[in-house]
Amino acid sequence: MILPLGLTLNFFTDTGFWIGVGVLAGIYALVALGLQLNVGYTGMTNFGAAGFMAVGAYAMAILVLKAGFSFWLSLPVAMLIAIGFGLLVGLPSLRLRADYFAIATIALAETVRIIAQNADSLTGGNQGLFCAEGGAGACYNDAWTNLSTTIEGWLQSLGWTNPESLAPLLIVVWLFVVGATLGLRFIQKSPWGRVLRAIREDEDAAEALGKHTFAYKLQSLAIAAAIGAFAGFFLALDLATVHPLDYEPVARQLLGGARRRGGLLDHPRGDAVHRLRPRRHPDRSTAVLHRRPGADRADGLPAAGDVRQAGGDGPR
Amino acid sequence: MNDADVDAERPNGKPILEAAGVVKRFGGIRAVNGATLDVREGSITALIGPNGAGKTTFFNVVTGFYRPDGGRAAFQGDQILGARPHAIARLGMVRTFQITKALARMPVIDNMTLAAPDQPGERLLNVIAHPRRVRRREAEVREQAIELLEVFDLARVAEDYAGTLSGGQRKLLELARALMTRPRLLLLDEPMAGINPTLGRRLLDHMQRLRADEGVSFLFIEHDMEVVMNHSDRVIVMAEGRVIADGEPHEVRTDQAVIDAYLGSGTVVEDERA
Ligand SMILES: Nc1ncnc2c1ncn2[C@@H]1O[C@H](COP(=O)(O)OP(=O)(O)OP(=O)(O)O)[C@@H](O)[C@H]1O
Ligand SMILES: [Mg+2]
Repeated sequence: MILPLGLTLNFFTDTGFWIGVGVLAGIYALVALGLQLNVGYTGMTNFGAAGFMAVGAYAMAILVLKAGFSFWLSLPVAMLIAIGFGLLVGLPSLRLRADYFAIATIALAETVRIIAQNADSLTGGNQGLFCAEGGAGACYNDAWTNLSTTIEGWLQSLGWTNPESLAPLLIVVWLFVVGATLGLRFIQKSPWGRVLRAIREDEDAAEALGKHTFAYKLQSLAIAAAIGAFAGFFLALDLATVHPLDYEPVARQLLGGARRRGGLLDHPRGDAVHRLRPRRHPDRSTAVLHRRPGADRADGLPAAGDVRQAGGDGPR
Repeated sequence: MNDADVDAERPNGKPILEAAGVVKRFGGIRAVNGATLDVREGSITALIGPNGAGKTTFFNVVTGFYRPDGGRAAFQGDQILGARPHAIARLGMVRTFQITKALARMPVIDNMTLAAPDQPGERLLNVIAHPRRVRRREAEVREQAIELLEVFDLARVAEDYAGTLSGGQRKLLELARALMTRPRLLLLDEPMAGINPTLGRRLLDHMQRLRADEGVSFLFIEHDMEVVMNHSDRVIVMAEGRVIADGEPHEVRTDQAVIDAYLGSGTVVEDERA
């Protein structure tokens, strides 16, 4: 981790780098919000957040590339699919005790990744999803690229002469983070949120008072899945590819206090290294050739701290 | 002192809870071994028995917390054995726990308001679509909660986290919280344990009042024979998972099977006053 940084320290002063970090921080802040709802508010140790992201991102890309959906229509549909997946995870495993539930969620998220890696015809296998038929046809993010260009135009008219290519995504991601934070705060403060907290404190007590705890836990999962799906969409737009190894359900997602906003942050590869990769390949069909070499991933524990500092979205 | 009340409110004999042949096994132990009992509507019924008699287990089975191994139970005519706890609670049969379950990291007042029935805001759709209705109900519920907390001397700790309460206060909170659900039958597992006598009396008075004003029925597990003999109008005695006696307090006190069951602990035999 130190080595490549030592070679190219100048990226620290590069706005593009920090904007990239900010995008990732936002994406993982979204994941953290979903987890906070599950773990912090409902007391469900859900390690399957990466699975929600993966299902969302893959569903979106597959709908666009293989089923001919428009990008904008694919988003809500993919979100519903992720919610469906969340419920599917919950129905059998929520009956398990907390620790077994945690294991089951890791297993299911891993299952998603393994399926993604192996169902080549649908998911592109280890190459991931990018554009239709080797780059010749449309790419799943074309609609976004257009919008992004429009936003860049607005930024220019606001006086930013040469906006970074990721600046529009940064703005959209953080608008979502703010929206999700406010929305979640609103529902968590409601009587509905009170039931969730009661379940976290003592599920039996909540049942004894007539609360259908199972239904609430499913709702909590469904909302986290919807938020996770959006985190997945954003990651797919950020990386301009949907790749199985971006969705490893690593247990290290739990850093810091579960109830603290921004207390759960991580990055699948985590460090600054992959940021140094060219972001948009002029010729997308060659992207596959210089997809992250193994060294990229041999980073061990990532510097989630980098992401957090950059995001500045919560106390440690 | 309350005998006059008791006579005036003589239960009309219709059972609100009917349990027959209830069985619960844990491995080789038959914790509840064919317990058969009725709780009459409008009664304050005591459930007594030596430690390990299966009283708590019986509660757990009829309130849906344990899966029964046999028997039947009906609440107001509805079969309840095997139903989920929340479904049974919603029918109007609500229990408290011997080992209290205060929701520690929630304020006392939230413990109370949580329990209120008919809060539309417990559905996400209403939270978003009908915020005004939710707020209105919340205000009502809060008022009721404060009133009840006053009865149990908990109003001044309403904003404190339930985890900061003493053992006795938690017991009271749990009872108050159960009352917030507006139950028809309350199953109380040793409600008086750890409560100081003055508050204990207030608690009993409140039970009498609820019974008189709203026709709430009670089935309470209690080891204090003074309380049982003076404040209940029926006593059911369990030993080794079965009901061995059932009758008015004075009948039960002189029942030979009961005296035998209690030999060793000796509580019933000793208690000849009142
Ligand atoms: N979850 C359980 N697993 C195994 N055995 C249990 C369980 N719950 C209760 N028992 C056993 O069942 C028997 C009855 O226990 P129970 O708690 O119902 O007694 P009780 O009448 O409430 O006693 P006490 O007056 O001491 O509260 C005991 O022998 C106990 O060890
Ligand atoms: Mg007991």
